[in-house]
Amino acid sequence: MSMVWTLAVCALAVLASFPLTRTLGRHAGWPLAAIYLVAAAVFWPVASRVMAGETVAWSTPWVPDLGLELSLRADGIGVVFTAIALLIGAVVLSYSTAYLSPGRNLTFYLYLVGFTFAMVGLVLADDLILLFLCWELTSLASFLLIARSGYSGEAASMRTLLITFIGGLTLLAAVGIMVAATGTTGLQEALAHPVWAQRPGLTTGVAVLVLLSAFTKSAQFPFHVWLPDAMAAATPVSAYLHAAAVVKAGIFLLMRFSPLFHDVPVWNATLVTVGLLTCALGGFFALQKTDLKKLMAYSTVSQLGLIVAAIGVGTEYALAAAVLHTIAHALFKSGLFMMVGVIDHSTGTRDVRRLPELRRAMPLAFWTTVLGAASMAGIPPMLGFVSKEKIFTALLEAPGPAWTGWAALVGGALASVLTFAYSAKIVFHGFVDGRGQDRWPEDAPLHATPPALGIFAALPILAGLPLALVVGVLDTPVDRAVSAALPHVEPETHLALWHGVNAELVATLLIIAVGLVVIARRRTVMPALEKETFRLDGAGVIATLVAPVARAGMQLALLVRADNPTRHVSPVLVALALVLGGGSAGLLLTGSLAEQHPDLDRWTDVVALVVIVLGVAGTTISQSRLAATVSLSAVGVGITVQIFSLGGPDVGLTQLLVEALTILMIMLVLQKLPLRFGRSPRLGQKAAMGLALATGLAFGLGAFALTGRRERSEIADYYLTEGPEITHGYNVVNTILVEFRALDTLGELTVLGMAGAAMVAILSTVRDRYLDPPRETDRSWVPDPDIALRPRGSAADRAIHQAWGNAVPMQLLVRLTAPLLVIISVILFWRGHNAPGGGFIAALLGSAVVALVYLSSARDQAVGPARLPMVLIGGGVALAILTGLWGTVAKGSFLAPISGYVGDLYLTSALLFDLGVYAAVLGLVMEAFNLLGAAGGRERTRERADESVEGELAGPMDTTRGETPEELAERELADREKALAATRAAGAPDGPDPKGRGRVGRRTTYLTHGVPPRNLGDRSEP
Amino acid sequence: MIIPVSIAVLVTGGVYLLLQRSMVRIIFGLALLSHAANLTLMLAGVSAWRGEPLPDRVDTAAAADPLPHAFVLTAIVIAFAVTVLMLALAVIGHNDDTKRMPPTGEERAT
Repeated sequence: MSMVWTLAVCALAVLASFPLTRTLGRHAGWPLAAIYLVAAAVFWPVASRVMAGETVAWSTPWVPDLGLELSLRADGIGVVFTAIALLIGAVVLSYSTAYLSPGRNLTFYLYLVGFTFAMVGLVLADDLILLFLCWELTSLASFLLIARSGYSGEAASMRTLLITFIGGLTLLAAVGIMVAATGTTGLQEALAHPVWAQRPGLTTGVAVLVLLSAFTKSAQFPFHVWLPDAMAAATPVSAYLHAAAVVKAGIFLLMRFSPLFHDVPVWNATLVTVGLLTCALGGFFALQKTDLKKLMAYSTVSQLGLIVAAIGVGTEYALAAAVLHTIAHALFKSGLFMMVGVIDHSTGTRDVRRLPELRRAMPLAFWTTVLGAASMAGIPPMLGFVSKEKIFTALLEAPGPAWTGWAALVGGALASVLTFAYSAKIVFHGFVDGRGQDRWPEDAPLHATPPALGIFAALPILAGLPLALVVGVLDTPVDRAVSAALPHVEPETHLALWHGVNAELVATLLIIAVGLVVIARRRTVMPALEKETFRLDGAGVIATLVAPVARAGMQLALLVRADNPTRHVSPVLVALALVLGGGSAGLLLTGSLAEQHPDLDRWTDVVALVVIVLGVAGTTISQSRLAATVSLSAVGVGITVQIFSLGGPDVGLTQLLVEALTILMIMLVLQKLPLRFGRSPRLGQKAAMGLALATGLAFGLGAFALTGRRERSEIADYYLTEGPEITHGYNVVNTILVEFRALDTLGELTVLGMAGAAMVAILSTVRDRYLDPPRETDRSWVPDPDIALRPRGSAADRAIHQAWGNAVPMQLLVRLTAPLLVIISVILFWRGHNAPGGGFIAALLGSAVVALVYLSSARDQAVGPARLPMVLIGGGVALAILTGLWGTVAKGSFLAPISGYVGDLYLTSALLFDLGVYAAVLGLVMEAFNLLGAAGGRERTRERADESVEGELAGPMDTTRGETPEELAERELADREKALAATRAAGAPDGPDPKGRGRVGRRTTYLTHGVPPRNLGDRSEP
Repeated sequence: MIIPVSIAVLVTGGVYLLLQRSMVRIIFGLALLSHAANLTLMLAGVSAWRGEPLPDRVDTAAAADPLPHAFVLTAIVIAFAVTVLMLALAVIGHNDDTKRMPPTGEERAT
């Protein structure tokens, strides 16, 4: 159980990072490190049981339908890797408190802590699916950590993502095959399944997939590219990534799958050869680097190669060596990385060609680095020596003919010469030689190293020294890890510094001897190597591979990627005309259609047709916007006539009211647009006409061929005869809307609400000066007519130049009609169930009141309180949904109407639903009038859009993409601070504390100050 | 036979306007097209029955199919909402040309 608590504590750290970074800034690392230690302490009982030889397991159902379980299991491997992740993590977090620049650093802590969570989940997972998920999480976390370092990390993080996700895909394939072949998602059961012994081909395939995944994560050749790239990240990130997390995940995966694959020849051969090759290549590249951090990155590549080779050998001894070297590497590499951070901090550079002689200036750092480098180079008495010796012994055991072992040992030894050389380079070039001494003038002192920086960098390195002397304490953990990786053996590891004289010791001595020669001749050897001998680097290779794909994608996107709507619409229209027109014509010509009903037409249809034809002609031909709008309204009237003639009073009323409101809104918009349409069409005028005629013909043919050829439908009879009995309402259309098909109506309502919200959202992404450009830049602006009939102040002058006089008749009309309209609206709403009316029609009539009030005002002003429209929309949708839920609770079906008599009155919950409809429609219309109508009076469009969310403001907000007022105020205050700092830096005297400085929060926003946001940064204000 | 002609006229005008540069004309085109779609839906109820679907006043045998009516009513209101939204888009920057976007201060170098 306590394993879960460990994970829970890690998850808690993720959540805690938000408030901690907010209150403590970069010092959030301290409590987070403490949380890590708590997690480790919680893990302690599990670890001690594992050390006693047990395995601890825990599981709970996850997705019962799929038989998935969330299962965790702690064995030796899990314990070792959990300990590394948590303890190194705690050290890195403590180090970060001094390393990071002051500030919140939320993303750093959040991603790093999330990373640890994923890593602990990965190593404790006992379920293949869970394993895969955690694996991908670590990939994502490393991507985010690299990407957060800004522009320099962008390309690097993308390469990391690409490579680690390739590994994710291979692991997914492997997991999929394993689950399919064994029929279980349990990790241990799958590994122990007999199918692997029966089908060696399958086993080999999965082994290759798994090792590819591990290679991408552990940066083995040729996937090593991303790791040096990851240097773009902050140093603590690198330290953690390299020592404890991502790259160790690959090693972990190999060990986890060792029980299954350790005797698969492909596994052995590939891991040993690729591992040693990577070890040598990494060492060589490391020697070439002058940037200490890059050098360190390649050294990780090289060290991991050695571990991979040891795992590849697959014997008990080899795995013990691999586990031990993993521990040793975690210690010295995290420490060395942080030491590079220390050097960087005090000198401002990591390039060995620029560093002064640091040995005397920073003796403690120097000696710590010497110890770390000695461990890496494998010099006694460091832990790295013990583990490297062990790996050499292990390489001798490489499976295959006798010579393979010796070949592996020689290969490992040669690679280790390189390791020795670059370790020496760190120490000598970093601290002793001072190649950049002459660039350092005497009066440029080093930055003092904060204690936390030095202490926590040294801690892991120094831990390696006593551990080596009492290396026996690691016997048990290593044993347990080995027995987890090789379940059938009973390992008995005896770690010691001194093993007597054997081949490995000879190898080590030879390495040291050669290394000393290199050190002696370093002044000529090292700079010679630093020339870029390798033109082809990984980033280039990836770019070469990706570029053609990206180009092909661009080409493909060109087909559909136009702002131009014609490009999107015309192919659809052509296809529609062909299919519909051709199909209908075919049906008519072949005579396969039923006879048309004889009684389809009425004379009223002709009236409607004439009006429609005239209206459409006017709309399409007119170049004047006003004339086109009036013609469009004529079409609407024609349609209304047609609908009434078809026997739809509800539909006809809706159409009429919607038409009126639409035309009003178009009029509002037209006052901000040019008087006439532009001339040039998108498609050639003739092509547009041709396409229009073809599509029109196709639609006409389709309507003629496919309708009116059957009797009235059965569903119509059902609604007409049964509807009134079921619903107690005689207006069948209304009962369909609010009862039979209320879900449709709810959907429609949501569309209405979304349209209102979307208008506000879109308009508040454009700044005021672009939304309503000032007159100088507004090409649509038409100056007031200058008619000098009578002098100023005369009635004629007022009639032309002032609005209020013209609004008086309208205001009188509103006084009379508004109450009447409200009453009619209520009646229509109430009677909707039995007679033409209902929520929609009543709401549209109510909206007409809004429209009248808006239009009758002499000044341009919003109708109603600023936030009312959004409240109406939200409330309406909410009311409709709640009514639906009431139905669910009371009748077991969403939106089922609940009805009954209250006295003589028959009431139904459908009425409440209709009320929701009413509110939402009214809200949308109010919002639309307020937003579209704002015509440069006191308030402009942007201010209205902001106010409909924020309430009354003194002016438009100067933000884009939904910044909240709090964020805006914070940003502006930060800008002001920056400006202030700049003036101070320029030598201006420190004035009194400016108003409003200090902590920024809800209380300092303009909402309480009553200061418009755009003026907040203006300090000249009193 | 007559209503299909109306539909053809509406679609012709609608498609023509849809292919123009001005956003407002495109909105007008969509309005005409939605009229055409609504009439087509109404025709699905067979125009031989034209009585109002109010069973307490009109003989059920002569009443029109109420289901297309409900659909069209919904469609009209949705078309209204879409038109309003598109009008809001058309008026940004006081310029409704779909070929030359008005400046919004957010142009990125591409």
